[in-house]
Amino acid sequence: MTQTTTRTRGRADQFGTSVVRPPDFDEFWAAIMAEANAIPLNPSMEHVPMRSTDEVDVYEIGYDSLDGLRIAGWYCRPKERYLAPPYPALLIVPGYVSEPTLPKSWAKMGYAAVGVAPRGKLRSNRHFNPGYPGLLVNNIVDRHTYSYRGFYVDACRAVDFVLTRPEVDPKRVGVHGSSQGGALTITTSALRRDAITCGAAGAPYLCGFMDATSLTNSWPYQEMNDYLRLYPDREAQMRETVAYFDGVNFAPLITAPMMVYIGLNDDVCPPETGYALKNAMTCPLEFYAQPRSAHDAGRHWVMPKVEAFLAKHLKPAATSRHAEPTVG
Amino acid sequence: MTERSTRPADFDAYWAAVDDELARYPAAPTLEALALPSDEYSTVYAAKITSIGPYRIFGYLSIPKAEGKHPGLLIAPGYGSVNHLPHLDDRQRYVTLVLMHRGQRLADQPFAAAYPGLLTLGIDDPAAYVYRGIVADCLRGAEFLLSRPEVDTSRVGISGGDLALITAARRPGFSAVQASGLLFHRLMAVRERTDAYPVEEVNDYLRAHPDKVGAVARTLSYFEPANHVSTLNATTLFNGGGAGVKSLMDAIPGTAEQYELTHEGGTDHDWADAWMAKQLGSIPKPHLWEVA
Repeated sequence: MTQTTTRTRGRADQFGTSVVRPPDFDEFWAAIMAEANAIPLNPSMEHVPMRSTDEVDVYEIGYDSLDGLRIAGWYCRPKERYLAPPYPALLIVPGYVSEPTLPKSWAKMGYAAVGVAPRGKLRSNRHFNPGYPGLLVNNIVDRHTYSYRGFYVDACRAVDFVLTRPEVDPKRVGVHGSSQGGALTITTSALRRDAITCGAAGAPYLCGFMDATSLTNSWPYQEMNDYLRLYPDREAQMRETVAYFDGVNFAPLITAPMMVYIGLNDDVCPPETGYALKNAMTCPLEFYAQPRSAHDAGRHWVMPKVEAFLAKHLKPAATSRHAEPTVG
Repeated sequence: MTERSTRPADFDAYWAAVDDELARYPAAPTLEALALPSDEYSTVYAAKITSIGPYRIFGYLSIPKAEGKHPGLLIAPGYGSVNHLPHLDDRQRYVTLVLMHRGQRLADQPFAAAYPGLLTLGIDDPAAYVYRGIVADCLRGAEFLLSRPEVDTSRVGISGGDLALITAARRPGFSAVQASGLLFHRLMAVRERTDAYPVEEVNDYLRAHPDKVGAVARTLSYFEPANHVSTLNATTLFNGGGAGVKSLMDAIPGTAEQYELTHEGGTDHDWADAWMAKQLGSIPKPHLWEVA
């Protein structure tokens, strides 16, 4: 079912998504989160003097998650002599192939920031390592063992981690990322709506999975096209599985204010799927669609808006600096 | 003072030793066709070749199914653990090699690179610096691609960052170079103006080892593209880079151009794609589309 992109197509905001919300979607995730919540977090923090500065302390962190996996991350917090606690927390969630960022620049802005490394990322891949390509289609015929079941939970557990930190104000917890980080911003804001204050999602991936396969031949969605070329008889199973993991179906659960930004010529995460997400959201939303931008989603212009949005809701102490842009 | 002034006296001997070491190890390539990404237009192979160390590195080699020879395209590895499979648009036009250097996924046995960490691994000693081997990996990849019988060796391009520039400078045979996101160019100066990774890795290292500033600068001078490009005869395009790459352009004896980024990802992609297609005698594959 591989299709090449065409030079003309309809308006992205007029696209009719094929995403259907399974009737037991909420029960499916309630059971998973109950299973996760029963697992002790066992958080660990190891100070990394070499990467710490006069303003920021850097820690390598770990915590337990589903399936007995130990998940890694980076935790960067302002030093107390630089900025006094409490701090708002900010999860920086990673793109598909990029390694988790070490969010020092966000910590300099006053956030207690976690660079999340869900399963399969380096340092979290000892017992789960489907690789790239691989992660997107790993067990994609079975929602109970699909790779993103644990992956989504790993990101949620980073919320639990920051809530264990005495220097964090538990009423100010944000999440931000682009591409897969945009997807995790959506899923985490939905699954941990009890704790998330706001989220900013760029070029959100994992929204409208099946629609995307017909709209792009770029990676990572191309993994699904490749898979279906080899196993065409598994399309129904694939469609059934991904419905439980589609950001469009998580969207109505989000209650916190959100910001979503997309590129109107994104060949990786088609803008049609970004609009499907937007249309499914019922929370307060700032939405930006940048003409002629692709998977960058207008990052060059939108990052100041992202920083302002997060600062407005999370109120960090220092907002004069600029953070590193988040990338897919 | 120009970047050229940092060229070590034994620069040529340093890189000649790398070439000698590479010559001692046959590439011993193996190709295994991959069913999942291969399609009606191209076959994708998992390629393994030997570099210095000796170390076995990995590449995705895609060969168009259309008869005859094809232009070649080497996509030099970026900074990170993963390099994507070659895009379908490239696979239809070019014999494409996406290379994973030592330490990156699929080339991470027995050495797995750390991020952050790779940039400063062995950085206080040019002989031990990990990028000595990484450049060798790229040179071996270039030799491998240029040796493929499916490749029209008069039309071979390379894209990437510093590794693309250094590889093309040290391995004649490329007709076009497209460079962006340079990391090693004026790195010791750039590090003072940023705390963004991966450049911040150098700052981290020097905070911990302030006595190593001179040693680090010396090591990096072997990898400064300005010290390599005097032998770069391919037509070269810099995607962005602003005024920072002007001295590099001036040092290139071949044709050097610069594209000023619009920061519209679609626009910038299509311009770069069309440029490489033109250089290699192929057709553009634009990603932008019009709304009907």
